[in-house]
Amino acid sequence: MSFSVNSISYRYSAEHETVLKEVSFIIKPGQVTAIVGPSGCGKSTLVSILSGVIPDLVSNGEMTGSIEVRQDALISVVSQSPENQLFGYGVEDAIAFGIENLGLDNESIVERVEYVLDLLNIQHLRQRSVATLSGGQRQAVCIASVLAMQPDILILDEPVSSLDPNGKKMIQTVLNSLKDAGQTVIIFDNNLEWSAGIVEHIIGLCAGEVVFDGDKPAFFYDADLLRKLAVTVPQEVEIYHALAKSVPGLNRFFSLSEAKQEIGKLISPSLETTGCAPATSAESASEPDVSVVQTTGLCKTFRDGFNALIDIDATFKQGRVISILGQNGSGKTTLVKHLNGLYRPSKGSVTYRGQSTAGKSVAQISKDIILVFQNPELMLFEETVLRELTFCARAQKIDFNEAEALEVLRRYGLLSHREEFPVNLPMGQKHLLTILSVLFSSAEVVILDEPTLGMDQQQKQLLQEIIRQLKANGKTVVVISHEIPLVFQISDEIMVLNNGRKLMQDVRQILAGCDELFEQINIALPPVVVLARYFGLTPECCDVAAFVAGVTARLGEANETQAERGTAHG
Amino acid sequence: MDDFLQYVELDSFLHKLDPRTKFVFFIVMSVLTSFVRSGVALLFLLLAFGVIWICGRIGIYIIVLAKKVKVLLLFIFLLWLILGVFRVNEGPAIYRTTLSLLNQEVTISLDWFDFYKGAVLSVRVFLMISAFYTVILSTNFSQIILGLRSWRISYALAFGIGLVFQIIPIIVKEFAIIMEAQSSRGLEVEQCSALAKMKNYVIISLPLMFRVLGKGHAISMAMHYYKLNFKVKRTAYKVIQPTYRDAVFAVVLTLVTAVAILLQIRFYIPL
Repeated sequence: MSFSVNSISYRYSAEHETVLKEVSFIIKPGQVTAIVGPSGCGKSTLVSILSGVIPDLVSNGEMTGSIEVRQDALISVVSQSPENQLFGYGVEDAIAFGIENLGLDNESIVERVEYVLDLLNIQHLRQRSVATLSGGQRQAVCIASVLAMQPDILILDEPVSSLDPNGKKMIQTVLNSLKDAGQTVIIFDNNLEWSAGIVEHIIGLCAGEVVFDGDKPAFFYDADLLRKLAVTVPQEVEIYHALAKSVPGLNRFFSLSEAKQEIGKLISPSLETTGCAPATSAESASEPDVSVVQTTGLCKTFRDGFNALIDIDATFKQGRVISILGQNGSGKTTLVKHLNGLYRPSKGSVTYRGQSTAGKSVAQISKDIILVFQNPELMLFEETVLRELTFCARAQKIDFNEAEALEVLRRYGLLSHREEFPVNLPMGQKHLLTILSVLFSSAEVVILDEPTLGMDQQQKQLLQEIIRQLKANGKTVVVISHEIPLVFQISDEIMVLNNGRKLMQDVRQILAGCDELFEQINIALPPVVVLARYFGLTPECCDVAAFVAGVTARLGEANETQAERGTAHG
Repeated sequence: MDDFLQYVELDSFLHKLDPRTKFVFFIVMSVLTSFVRSGVALLFLLLAFGVIWICGRIGIYIIVLAKKVKVLLLFIFLLWLILGVFRVNEGPAIYRTTLSLLNQEVTISLDWFDFYKGAVLSVRVFLMISAFYTVILSTNFSQIILGLRSWRISYALAFGIGLVFQIIPIIVKEFAIIMEAQSSRGLEVEQCSALAKMKNYVIISLPLMFRVLGKGHAISMAMHYYKLNFKVKRTAYKVIQPTYRDAVFAVVLTLVTAVAILLQIRFYIPL
């Protein structure tokens, strides 16, 4: 069933600005479409219109245009927070909820529940309670519950935004099954990194207008458009655009195999393979090792007997950016909650500059070690953006300069919102604001738990700037993130946790050579690292800029050799 | 304990009962504890409850409940103890004196019976609360909805009740996370005066309110996505059927009720 949106314009009330302007597009049956655009571009409003929330539930807005779709067509939505969408204690109850609303007989309900459990390969979850599922499993059950209603169009609203790499892989598998089954799917997500292999059609929204409507190669080829829409794309696409500036006539590549092939035409692959073995790098040897926070024999056993941390010895050095990697449940958050005193160790100790943190309250520790949670909505409560920015300073009774605060707001694009209610900001800006507030705290150690949640590419770049600034001020930054390319780009050191144990902590260049370690934790190394090693550019290349510099240097050497040969022959 | 005030998934006799049997248990026990005022009968009921909790493997959760309500129980006990001091009861006295207050003679009499009365009323309240809590611990919200619907209660009401029990644990968890998030930013909630603590709790309640409102909005949208319409007849995937366990439990419940009534008649002392 095809589906067309014709010149839809919408505003929430006469006083509000128009959120969507003459939006038109066609969705073909059986196609997987991605609708992308920066934070605040109108994606959420479009989801509400397509799903019928506008005007069925929100009826006070002004809408013009039309949606051409069969009268009895069913359009269902899977939201980014499955916990708000799953009605039912058990998996079977939750899946059956929507079908029960359709008034089908018991036999048909059973048949449909079995069908979706098989289709999504989640039969093993059927007896589980929803509360015990992992993020990816919960999202898969949510998709199953909606699919069981046999929707003509399935809308997924940022389905992997809070998932770990395992969860993302599970949703990728689910989406591939849906694609094979001919299900029409629309994904609303500004992150195409995880879905690039599945998506066939892309629609770009900017300031409420459609600025792109076409296929994936055409979209990825347009660097200006990618920048304008602040889309997170696969790192191979970033590499292509960065390299194309230095290498005219470079053939397009948007996947790892294509990249190997095309870059392989410029420089030859390396015959050597590197491993975890090299123990030192120039960076680790040259920098001073001033330990700020240290954990010794840290163990945490929860009341139910679960061993969340087992014998963790870790050092967090001054002025370093240290990322903690691992799947959900590996102990990342538990570890950082020990650093700031939210959890007390079952065994072992945490010290800050040699002094134990035991006996201090969390608020007292926050003067030295501050933790920013992944969900900004748990933190915002001031009446204006400006007051929120300076909250930490006021809570910790630290003097601050209002002019300086305004300058920070200006630099990070929040100045025009300074008198607004922070809760009303788009998600990415809310998160940015909570992170910015630590700039006004006295803490020497800043811990950021999933800092990119809800951020578009532009905001992620601002985040990197904040981290660089903190580092430049001599602060230690600890980051927990599932965005592996970002982790390799910003980190000096990476710590890997698995099932509560620390597997490794070292400089990123050394981690980049540890294939077996990453296989063990089921996390893929970033494409730039894989390519750098393939072409023998390791150990330095952990980000796109370094990789491009490495490739162009090799190209220069090759050209010089060729020129020398030419001269010799001449 | 993280799982306070919510269903606990266990494989027990109590958990396998038909939700309607547990609703009947709750109703019978609520009525019974409202009129039973005999210490002996109440002790017997407490014993019977204890056996049910052990069979249901929820004893540890009831201890958690007792810890949470101990202040309330102590308050009830002390209240009746203080009120009893101004009344002279029959039986042995611990301390008795007569004072002259504003030209009137007032007798202060602390009797053993005052302790008995305070204890009886505290146990009654505890049994009332724990009857409800026993059902909550052993019946998940999907079963609550199914049970209520089979009693021809409208789906809107049954769903609303089930939703409350689905949301309560989420809100409890959210509150704890907000506390953690705010204290991590420097808000003192541990080492401060009671007044400062109260003020900080008010601060914490604001993001909680926004989260609850946000959740309410998300849930109403999800209900729309699932085409939930209370005016349309709904069908069900699961069907509940009483088993031999329900019959056994019903017999035990009847016996316990009969014995409690007998003990009440036999050993009642007017309070």
